[in-house]
Amino acid sequence: MELKAAGITDVGLKRESNEDYFSIDNALGLYIVADGMGGHLAGEVASKVAVEVINKNVNRWIAQQVPDDELFDYPDSTLSKRANYILSGIKLANRVIYELSKVYSEYKGMGTTIVALSIMPSVAIAANVGDSRLYLIRANTIEPLSKEHNMVTEQLEMGLISEEEAEVSPLRHILTRNLGSSDTVDVDVFEIEPRNNDRFLLCTDGLTDLVSDQEIFEIVQNGEDPEHLCRQLIVKANGMGGNDNVTASLVFVHNLEQENQGIVKKFWSRSK
Amino acid sequence: MARVILVFNKQVIKDYPFIKENMTIGRTDENDIVIDNLAVSGYHARIDRAGDTYILTDLQSTNGTFVNDKKIVSYRLRHKDKITIGKHLLFFALSKSEQAKAREGELDETMVLDTARQKELLAKQAGRKGIDLTGAKQKLGVVSFIDGSDQGEIELSKKLTKIGKAETSEIRLGGLFMATTAATISRRPNGYAITPTGGTKVKVNNQVIRESQILNDFDTIEIGSYKFQFYTQGSGDEK
Repeated sequence: MELKAAGITDVGLKRESNEDYFSIDNALGLYIVADGMGGHLAGEVASKVAVEVINKNVNRWIAQQVPDDELFDYPDSTLSKRANYILSGIKLANRVIYELSKVYSEYKGMGTTIVALSIMPSVAIAANVGDSRLYLIRANTIEPLSKEHNMVTEQLEMGLISEEEAEVSPLRHILTRNLGSSDTVDVDVFEIEPRNNDRFLLCTDGLTDLVSDQEIFEIVQNGEDPEHLCRQLIVKANGMGGNDNVTASLVFVHNLEQENQGIVKKFWSRSK
Repeated sequence: MARVILVFNKQVIKDYPFIKENMTIGRTDENDIVIDNLAVSGYHARIDRAGDTYILTDLQSTNGTFVNDKKIVSYRLRHKDKITIGKHLLFFALSKSEQAKAREGELDETMVLDTARQKELLAKQAGRKGIDLTGAKQKLGVVSFIDGSDQGEIELSKKLTKIGKAETSEIRLGGLFMATTAATISRRPNGYAITPTGGTKVKVNNQVIRESQILNDFDTIEIGSYKFQFYTQGSGDEK
């Protein structure tokens, strides 16, 4: 399996600083995007700390093949080992940001969203907190692999409001979860089996507030160079007003061996 | 400090300073703002403070809550907004310093609502609508074999369930033509999805599938000679 990835973050047209942060690790197959919040420089600190805490610890846990029960917080038995590493890394990042915001007055109220993707040949893991998103683009479809943790989405899921009401609701930017606001955090984790030619997009709300899923889909399909496509996404968001910082990170899966072939196919390909 | 000014028949009844984290509006005495009128529900609406933001939420009242003559479910209040409850008006006002802050924050600043209060708020809204919040969580999926094999029912407790011949499969199926992994079922934001992974034919409701498909209750799945039905726990025995 080969992974090709690129990411771009842009301050947008209306903000003075960029509180988004992202990381790309093709060797490990780990990709993270974070959207920080909090006054002065606190938002920038929160997103950067989150991404670095997760990277550093997940790297170490994988290298040492740390057993589940030695991870931070409790492991989730419904998840694979790698997914538990990601989950634990996010929970640890939450605790670090929470403690920082308690100790230093200039960091009071800081927080960040997080969306992480980890790809191995056997499984792709998606984890998120807040309203940054992960999309899977596969075989002419675009599908979310993240959950949005804001008031509107929760109201919608409970049937309190309609889709139409949700779209115009002023509560879209009221998050119900993030990293840093509480000593513990619930993380949504999804696992799927990756396929050859899958494309994944991690992004912040600076993109999704202004550009529709359909428009994102059309751009992401239109080329082979992830960096060029990320640039196009940023340009599109800024063209729609550039209200917020915007980050897009694209990951392409290539040369994934499909080992799951039946006995007939196996012999068939051998005899050829 | 924000204030809420209660007006009836063009006369100011009372001026309520916003001193707590939230204020409730309704007919019964337990409310912070009591409006004794039959058009007003016992607990009609509430206003919550999240940082510098104030959120008005209708508590599924009988006659509704209106802001600037539009019906609302939840609404982020701005200076000079007019709230209508029955025949009473409530004007929302911010102090000078808060108005200045609000202008700075006009760029749709993201904020986080305190979790406990947010849960309480949603629970209340749901309660009024008679919605069971425990049901809002994704229900656990189950596959039930209907092919006479001895597999019975298997709960899809993992996020990713692999189905096939491999020893590591969560659901192991035998047979000469069975692939190591014939299909996977994953829990996704939109529900459970089945994905054929090649090698063995996978059918959903008698249709061969090649791409992922979201599963609905009582869909029939066939993999090779195996046949089973998908459903989510709790479906079928309610309503």
